Amino acid sequence: MEKKYGAYICKGCGIGDAVDIEKLAEETAEATGLKKEDIKSHDVLCSPDGVALIQRDIKEQGVNAIAIGACSWRTKYEEFDFPGCVMERANLRELVAWGQPPKEASTQALARDYLVMAVVKTQKGELPEPGVLQELSKTIMVVGGGPAGLGAALQAARAGYEVVLVEKEAQLGGWGGRLYKQVPRSYPYQGLEEPLVKTLAQEVQASEKIKVYTSTVIEKTEGQPGLFDVTLKGPSGSETLRVGAFVLAAGRKPYDAKKLGHLGYGLPNVLTNLEFEELVKDSNGRLTRPSGGGEIRRVAFIQCAGQRDEEHLPYCSAFCCATALKQARYVREANPEAVAMILYKDIRTPGQTELFYRNMQDEPGVMLTKAEVKAVKEEDGRLVVEATDTLLGEAIKLEADLVVLATGVVPATAEFQRYWDGLLEAASKGDEAKAKYMQEHPQPETILNLQYRQGPEVPSMEGGYGFADSNFICFQYETRRTGVYAAGCVRQPMNMAEAVEDGAGAAMKAIQCVEHVAQGVAVHPRAWDITFPDPLLQRCTACKRCTEECPFGAIDEDEKGIPYYKINRCRRCGTCMGACPERIVSFKDYHVDMIGSMIKAIEAPEEEELRFICLACENDAYPALDTLGLKLRQGLLKKPIHPSVRVIPVRCLGSVNLVWVADAFSRGIDGMILLGCKFGEDYQCHFIKGSELANYRFSKVQETLDRLQLEAERCQMLQVAISDYDKLPDMIEAFVKKVEEEFGPNPFKGF
Amino acid sequence: MSEKVLSPDLGFVKEVIKAGGQSLKKCYQCATCTVVCNVTPEESPFPRKEMVQAQWGLKEELFANPDIWLCHQCSDCTAYCPRGAKPGEVLNAVRRLSLKEFAPLGFLASLAGSPGGLLLLLAVPVVLFLVILGALGNLGSVPRAEDGSIAYHLFMPVLVIDIVFIAAALFAVLVWVAGLRRYWRLMCSRAKPVVPLSTAVLQTVKEILAHRRFGKCEVAKGRSLAHLLVFYSFVALAITTTWALVYLYGFHRESPYPLSDPVKWLGNLGALGLLAGMFLVILNRLGTAAKAGLGSYYDWLFIVVVAGVGLTGFLSEIFRLADAAALAYPTYFAHLVLVFFLFAYAPYSKMAHMLYRALAMVFERATGRK
Repeated sequence: MEKKYGAYICKGCGIGDAVDIEKLAEETAEATGLKKEDIKSHDVLCSPDGVALIQRDIKEQGVNAIAIGACSWRTKYEEFDFPGCVMERANLRELVAWGQPPKEASTQALARDYLVMAVVKTQKGELPEPGVLQELSKTIMVVGGGPAGLGAALQAARAGYEVVLVEKEAQLGGWGGRLYKQVPRSYPYQGLEEPLVKTLAQEVQASEKIKVYTSTVIEKTEGQPGLFDVTLKGPSGSETLRVGAFVLAAGRKPYDAKKLGHLGYGLPNVLTNLEFEELVKDSNGRLTRPSGGGEIRRVAFIQCAGQRDEEHLPYCSAFCCATALKQARYVREANPEAVAMILYKDIRTPGQTELFYRNMQDEPGVMLTKAEVKAVKEEDGRLVVEATDTLLGEAIKLEADLVVLATGVVPATAEFQRYWDGLLEAASKGDEAKAKYMQEHPQPETILNLQYRQGPEVPSMEGGYGFADSNFICFQYETRRTGVYAAGCVRQPMNMAEAVEDGAGAAMKAIQCVEHVAQGVAVHPRAWDITFPDPLLQRCTACKRCTEECPFGAIDEDEKGIPYYKINRCRRCGTCMGACPERIVSFKDYHVDMIGSMIKAIEAPEEEELRFICLACENDAYPALDTLGLKLRQGLLKKPIHPSVRVIPVRCLGSVNLVWVADAFSRGIDGMILLGCKFGEDYQCHFIKGSELANYRFSKVQETLDRLQLEAERCQMLQVAISDYDKLPDMIEAFVKKVEEEFGPNPFKGF
Repeated sequence: MSEKVLSPDLGFVKEVIKAGGQSLKKCYQCATCTVVCNVTPEESPFPRKEMVQAQWGLKEELFANPDIWLCHQCSDCTAYCPRGAKPGEVLNAVRRLSLKEFAPLGFLASLAGSPGGLLLLLAVPVVLFLVILGALGNLGSVPRAEDGSIAYHLFMPVLVIDIVFIAAALFAVLVWVAGLRRYWRLMCSRAKPVVPLSTAVLQTVKEILAHRRFGKCEVAKGRSLAHLLVFYSFVALAITTTWALVYLYGFHRESPYPLSDPVKWLGNLGALGLLAGMFLVILNRLGTAAKAGLGSYYDWLFIVVVAGVGLTGFLSEIFRLADAAALAYPTYFAHLVLVFFLFAYAPYSKMAHMLYRALAMVFERATGRK
């Protein structure tokens, strides 16, 4: 498009007091080639009068590439919205006027660099148009007919969407269908309830919007959000359906109790909580010992049986405590003289279930103690529980007629994940090892069977125990496969009431997905973004870095290894752009050349003064910088960011291309900071792998710097949380000081 | 692994609940009580473990350690308990049940612990004294002293009083000795004394005289002073009584003594101290009820009896000096009944705390826990 440029500087919110606006306009014009008269200022640019000034220029002069020097782009986006125009903002408020001392030469220089960079962005950017694919479906496919799946199907149907529910068993209900009674879900949390799934399953069956397939599995899934072609295999053969998005509610499996021999599993009258439930259900509440018959007077409930235990399941399954309390009620109702002894590590009854705990605690015949159960044995025909660290004494023994083990949940995705991890590891050792592995390990059953280059199932996170979760801190329901939203115990352990609500949450995400895809907008978290990666494939060398590193498996390959982008799977993080050694991946408003040009537009002083670039993640690091500006303005913090640092926002640190390092240092920049989310076990990256990949790639920056004969330590990655704004000045100053003192100025200065 | 097989006893749990531990089951074993308790030893502290033991109905575990009696029921635990489990009240109920367990004729403890037993317990001294008065012919008209003043020893001869009260006291002492012996032996079955008993006793007496431990209470801070006052008043009254015995049987001086006599001073001082102390006790109880709980029937019976002894004793003297015969004799009668009540039932009422607690403190020191 033919561009007509305009730059507008706001003097409000203290910008006019901190910066010489006249001088800023002059220097910007000089650096960017804009005409002096195309750079205008206004006292309050976001006011109707200020906005009218810009709109008049758009209308009368045909301005369509606008750089605005005002507040952070994270604010006032409704005021500064000019459809049909390329628009960028220079953050002169939070990072300059609020974040730095007024009227200083360094502050003026900072404002100049930010405004110039914004103009460069408008020069390099193009107006994006949404990529809307054809023949999209908005049908939601729910995989799994347990509480979460039923909840999801009902809510999606109520919201007006067609739903396909696939259940591999013959009956709907999942584990919920096997309950005798259910933990109460409403005040006063006293009496037990009829299993919830019964009514939910009836509602689902009755809904015209929901098509139910039982005894059916997914043979394969091809395509992308809006265009998933799913082949089902059921009693009446195969059938292929097109759906828009998935709710993955495949649920859980009980942990294999055979591994709990030390807790007596295998002895007569030692049952899992599930087996006990079935015993009660089958006898309709009249309890007798399953083996040998006879009255039950003492039942020992052993909580965390193989849970919160590094040898078995390291995590808590969330519902077993309430289940034990409920089953204690069965014991008490069957025989008022019977005692239920609950041995726990901690009682965990989240939310209002706490009230049920209190009510059950009030029962004189329900006896609780913290304990580490060491063994369950049979002595003289009686079951004896041995425990240490109890509240009743150092080490105790208890006799019981029946022992119930609270075995935990294993997500339905875990087994395949384990197989897949092993396969990848074997494959990394060579084809022979891979063949051997495949021979020794039969492939477990798949759930979605995605025909993706990165594998057929939703990957779990490292250390995620096989749960289909990708970012439980910020983005519940999200998985690492766009268009697949996990609900219920496949996502994290939870009780059935929670699972039903979880299903509703995941259904909403699935609806968001099909609706965004229909508009050509990215799904969460860049939910406004209509751009998409547009690689120049003629120059692709088929190195496969993008297809391997994409955190969402968005890119497939053709036979030659050339990437094939499925844009509806893409979250627009730009990790492929950062990965590409040929630098051929671009977005209309974000590409390697654009950021490179911005870096080059920064004025690197020739004298003693050092200049630093900070590439800051837009998701958390940049907001933290904005917050710092605000806190400085409010007087709540005193220390600003070192004035020699120029911040450039990036979509994700994963999108940082190493060529920018060369660009910066060859232009005389003295040091470079990557400011992004935490990675590792407590990662906070919004795109899961971005900051980790950036860290890995940055560790390889040595080669580039060696070539320039510079010290590798001139580059550093810093991890911050959004709440770390108060720590930023010190973190950055420490780096600046280190470069100043240890290395001095970049020898390329002035070249 | 210990060989101890624990046997939860649902019946005992219900007993504790009935005996004033209604809040027992609310405890979720967080140990806030133990953390805030200032009087517990650091080694194997209370009251959480007692709460758990009580919830599991482990009667013997509870009774066989000194801790239920080391508790002074400051109620700091009750005030800070996040679940309203009132450990102070629960332990009080457990102590009560332990009296029934240890003392011979344990049914008397049951009578002393519930309102239903009150009439029966009162009937014993009332009937006894009425019979005596009837036999003496003092029920209709009462002889006066030579100077025409009211003379209680003519109403109820000192010898009769001495016989009745010495018998009552003897009964109490025997019950006490038997109960305390059982308690001591049960404690010894779990832990062996390592410190010479004389040392332990001496240190305990010193501590009791100073009320050192009681002073560590926070929520019921005032209780320490009130108890101290009552305690020393009792000491003064005990000395008065002994002194009177010496006067009577040593010097053949009969009461009433003139107001100028030192024994009179001490007696009156003790009575005033007791009244003031009991007034403070009641005030404290009511004042801290919201935080510490109001206490059980068993507590209040004891408070009323002790306060009643002080009040009727003091009023008897006033009415006598005022020559108000119609008030003086019934008041004196009530005084005798209450004193009997206090003496004879001491091992079953809250009065028992005096020796059981002291014994527990001795055991605590003897086993080197403190």
